Amino acid sequence: MEILMEAFRSLGKDKVRTFLSMLGIVIGVIAVIVAIAIGAGTTKNVTARISSLGSNVIIVTPGFSGGFGGRTAAALTNVLQETDVQNIQNMAPDVADVTPILQKSFNVIYQATNTVVSVFGAYPDAFSILDLPIQYGRLITTKDEQNYANVAVIGNTIATTLFGNQNPVGQTVYITTGSFQVPFTIIGELQETGSKLTFNPDNMLMIPYTTASVKLIQLNGGVSQILASAKSANTALDAASEINNILYMRLQNANQYRLISQNQILSTVSQTTDVLTLLLASIAAISMVVGGIGIMNIMLVSVTERTKEIGVKMAMGATRRRIMAEFLVESMFITIVAGAIGVGFSFLIAMIVTYLASGLGLTVIITWPSIVLSFGVSVAIGLFFGLYPAYMASKKSPVEALRYE
Amino acid sequence: MALLELRNVKKIYDMGRDIQVEALKGVSFSIEEGSYTAIMGHSGSGKSTLLQIMGCLDRATDGDIIINGTAVKNMNDFQLARFRNKTIGFVFQSFNLIGNLSALENIELPMIYAGVPRVERRKRAMELLRIVGLEEPEERGHHRPNQLSGGQQQRVAIARALANDPAVILADEPTGNLAVNQWRRILDIFKKLNESGKTIIIVTHDPLVGEEATRTITLEDGSIVNDERTR
Repeated sequence: MEILMEAFRSLGKDKVRTFLSMLGIVIGVIAVIVAIAIGAGTTKNVTARISSLGSNVIIVTPGFSGGFGGRTAAALTNVLQETDVQNIQNMAPDVADVTPILQKSFNVIYQATNTVVSVFGAYPDAFSILDLPIQYGRLITTKDEQNYANVAVIGNTIATTLFGNQNPVGQTVYITTGSFQVPFTIIGELQETGSKLTFNPDNMLMIPYTTASVKLIQLNGGVSQILASAKSANTALDAASEINNILYMRLQNANQYRLISQNQILSTVSQTTDVLTLLLASIAAISMVVGGIGIMNIMLVSVTERTKEIGVKMAMGATRRRIMAEFLVESMFITIVAGAIGVGFSFLIAMIVTYLASGLGLTVIITWPSIVLSFGVSVAIGLFFGLYPAYMASKKSPVEALRYE
Repeated sequence: MALLELRNVKKIYDMGRDIQVEALKGVSFSIEEGSYTAIMGHSGSGKSTLLQIMGCLDRATDGDIIINGTAVKNMNDFQLARFRNKTIGFVFQSFNLIGNLSALENIELPMIYAGVPRVERRKRAMELLRIVGLEEPEERGHHRPNQLSGGQQQRVAIARALANDPAVILADEPTGNLAVNQWRRILDIFKKLNESGKTIIIVTHDPLVGEEATRTITLEDGSIVNDERTR
């Protein structure tokens, strides 16, 4: 108790110096906590975006060929076939719905406006798999599918581009393919959904699969992608491996296709953000170490300045252990207070960052472990970097220390 | 009975490059309990070295020191610190009060090291301030050393030396930094303490200070050249 009071007094004697020696640790603690908070916030944002896909969705895309020796990787074409879709439908017990997808960009014209749109031909099941809610009109039905109907459901963003504020339902748009213009009647408009992993429904024009395969995207039985949903989130892994087995049986090469599921992407993303967070935090941690060296420097100066005092205390009967403890308590006092100030300020900084970056969609989440970690590290730094000066103080010879002026 | 006994104490300083300085060349004497001794000598005579060795701040190169029945020679640093704390009270020429502690806290310092409880410490510190005659102790006790005069500081320092009721008070030129009117008072305190039974050893080069003692040991060039009872 007396040691604490004494440490408080002697630190209070030179407030500027004490403040400056705290600064390194304060900044370090803030940096560590905010870095981890930004990492946690980013992870949460990205996770939320990925989760928008739905935890039971599985996407099959063709694999890539090449990509070695400086050549650009190109998506394989004609790998996935309609027969694969049928096989999955028949042979994968954990798959609820499955649809082939034909996807390609086309120029779409409405009156005097035209824009490039991703046309998306799929079974009506696609709407339920991707969880796409309708805003106006209706969705594509099995009947449209059977009739090769020239009908389309339009994404929110394109609807605005082509129609402005007008209700697009019932209007006709023209899709340009080669020298032909194929008319499509808009039967519905989707609600704004935001990006769903590899799809962005806001920028899509969705048409029946049959219509797409006959009139726009002829791949001779090939499909761009396959979209499937597992019966539940719990069976998503099983469903994925069933699909994998079915595709492997026919293709005999796992590089020809890729399976994308939310769980798999999430784990990749969390690994990536974890590495990034670790990187940020370790850069920040360096500033704490630098702060620690600053404290050691100050403490060494302090030990030299107070040589006489150390001599007097030794003459009064202070043991070496006691002298050591006094200086150690001082350096730890500095880092504990600095750590606490740092934790306090990191909340302020986090608020400022959140405010400034609100437009960027950056979220800052301060986590308990980061507080405990950075505070703990700052205390440990006080102990570690205080040890040497304290040892130097305790090793002084009382006679020489007393003679020091 | 002898409170403090030195037997053929030598101190050789190794200055490096094979240069050795023999500060004490075999000093022997004993100090009786309740005595008042002055150790006199010019600077360089070895009196400061002698004080450091008697005060257990430094170790003798050779010879035995027995204080209060305890041989100091084989003690480790920890034991020496404890021994200084309980047995020896130091008074320095330049007072050596700790600047950021109040007068009372300075007096409490040796008691903190001895583990005396807080309330008791404060009570004893107050009592000691009265013994050394600090004016208005309730108020001045809370002053920092730099708010006190030299004489007041030295009285606080004496109170600090008395804190753990040590067997012997070792004073190193206690009046050296004081104005004439002040040093008289300091010497009176030592005298009064001695009359109440404290053993006092004063190291000085000033014959006027030496006159106060009942015994004078004179050192020259590391050896005792004179040892007489003056009263």
